[in-house]
Amino acid sequence: MSLDIVGPLLFGLLAVLIVGAGLGVVLADRITTSALLMAFTFLNMAGMFVLLGAETIAAFQILIYVGAITVLILYGVMFTPQAPRAYGLFFQKQTTPGALIAAVAALPVMVVAFAFRDAASGPPRGGDLLPLASSLFTDFAFPFEVASVLLLAAMIGAIVLVKRE
Amino acid sequence: MVAGPFGIDPLAWLVLRLLVAVVLALFLILNGALLLIYLERKIQAAMQDRIGPYHVGPFGLLQTLADALKLIAKEDFRAGQTDRAFFIAAPALVFSPMLASFVVLPFGPGIVGADLNIGLLYLAMLGSMGVLGIVIAGWASNNKYSLVGGLRSAGQLISYEVPGILSLVTAVLLVGSLSMVRITEAQPGPFTNVFIIPLAFVTYFIAALAETNRTPFDLPEAESELVAGYLTEYSGMRWGTMLALTEYGNVTVVCSIMTTLWFGGWQGPGIDSGPVTGPLLGLLWFTLKTYTFILVFMWIRATLPRLRIDQLMNLCWKVLIPLALLNLSVTAVLLIAFPGTKLPVAIANWVLLAVFLLGVPMVQQRRLRGIRARMRRDVAGATAAS
Repeated sequence: MSLDIVGPLLFGLLAVLIVGAGLGVVLADRITTSALLMAFTFLNMAGMFVLLGAETIAAFQILIYVGAITVLILYGVMFTPQAPRAYGLFFQKQTTPGALIAAVAALPVMVVAFAFRDAASGPPRGGDLLPLASSLFTDFAFPFEVASVLLLAAMIGAIVLVKRE
Repeated sequence: MVAGPFGIDPLAWLVLRLLVAVVLALFLILNGALLLIYLERKIQAAMQDRIGPYHVGPFGLLQTLADALKLIAKEDFRAGQTDRAFFIAAPALVFSPMLASFVVLPFGPGIVGADLNIGLLYLAMLGSMGVLGIVIAGWASNNKYSLVGGLRSAGQLISYEVPGILSLVTAVLLVGSLSMVRITEAQPGPFTNVFIIPLAFVTYFIAALAETNRTPFDLPEAESELVAGYLTEYSGMRWGTMLALTEYGNVTVVCSIMTTLWFGGWQGPGIDSGPVTGPLLGLLWFTLKTYTFILVFMWIRATLPRLRIDQLMNLCWKVLIPLALLNLSVTAVLLIAFPGTKLPVAIANWVLLAVFLLGVPMVQQRRLRGIRARMRRDVAGATAAS
């Protein structure tokens, strides 16, 4: 028994958990359950990133998606009045089209993924913050700035929406 | 085949090491909570001219142990309309991120669970995860007070995370590493980071008070308005896990972060004295520094009144975040402009700190003068009319 089998084993476990929790998000009949399962999916995704040697990305994944976005979704859910109808969500009746759309969306991803099957894997480089930061501010400065402008626009939009009354 | 430490199979060592680390962290949290609750009660008693717990054991030392036994022995009670799965999951969701934080804390030279190169980011990430459990607890209790407490907590924690992380980043800029061990090693002398970036320390201290739900920011569990906030429906060891263990564990974690980032962690006289005495002395310095901050937290709890929710949000968004952001950009610019010397950063930081400390009372006085003038006008108007 050596350390080599631990990686694939963990990968398999995480993959099953991600897909299972993702299905749970869509199929659960209560929105709070869905939100928690989504947080669980994000956590498992972070585990995947750690497995790939990208601990920084994993940490940001949890910091932003679990710590902020899921909490904001829950916040939204709790401020929404519970309708007197049953807990079932209306789009649950659309299982077949939903599954079809998911399959169509997954197809190109799988094709791309399998195209890299024989590619030589480089050493993991996401662990350190310095290369990430320097590439963000040199090679990818333009997309980075565009993203920040987008966030600014979203923030101004939110403020305008709230101030309207 | 490579043999692990002590000649143990590396795979077994991996599991064993994890087990040992978790058991040690649990041991630390459980006993730390017992000790801190005792200290909190004794110190508050001393400040309020009381005696505090004295009946169980010498000086009342066993009082918290007796309380813990009572909590464990309590009936496992759950109100009828609560949401079973979420209600049970919430204490675990709050507790486990706090437990995981102990992995990267550098208790002494060589005494650290794992020296992650993103240690500080890891701590910030776990700090943000605790919110989820609190919101779930508030929602699952099916109680208005719990829900309002949970929502308040989410708003407060997410807001105060921003100045907290900005202050942490300022310290990281100065050291150039996110690893808790390397941050400690970068401050060997008596001039630790707190003398260079005092303003970042002050903003982080305030944010840390808010993030651990301590007075004056304990609005989520404000007993005069919200019964006990998100803890209202909890009792027994679930309550004990959420309040006692998690709150005091989180206090220990944030105080350790302050110790490491601004006060040199385990650095102190005599840490190079030998392979055994060095780490032990380091442990001693780290513990002393951390407990000093914990005592300050308790002191604040005994002296300051609670803020109102609008004052809380005003302080965060109108004072702390702009200040921390300004501090971060000034520090970054000065570090780039004057490589090799930290003197300009120190001067800028002390000036900003003085502006902050002098500015708050001045702004407050101006506001008070405005309020008094308006009231006087109203009274004059009323007497003239009558």
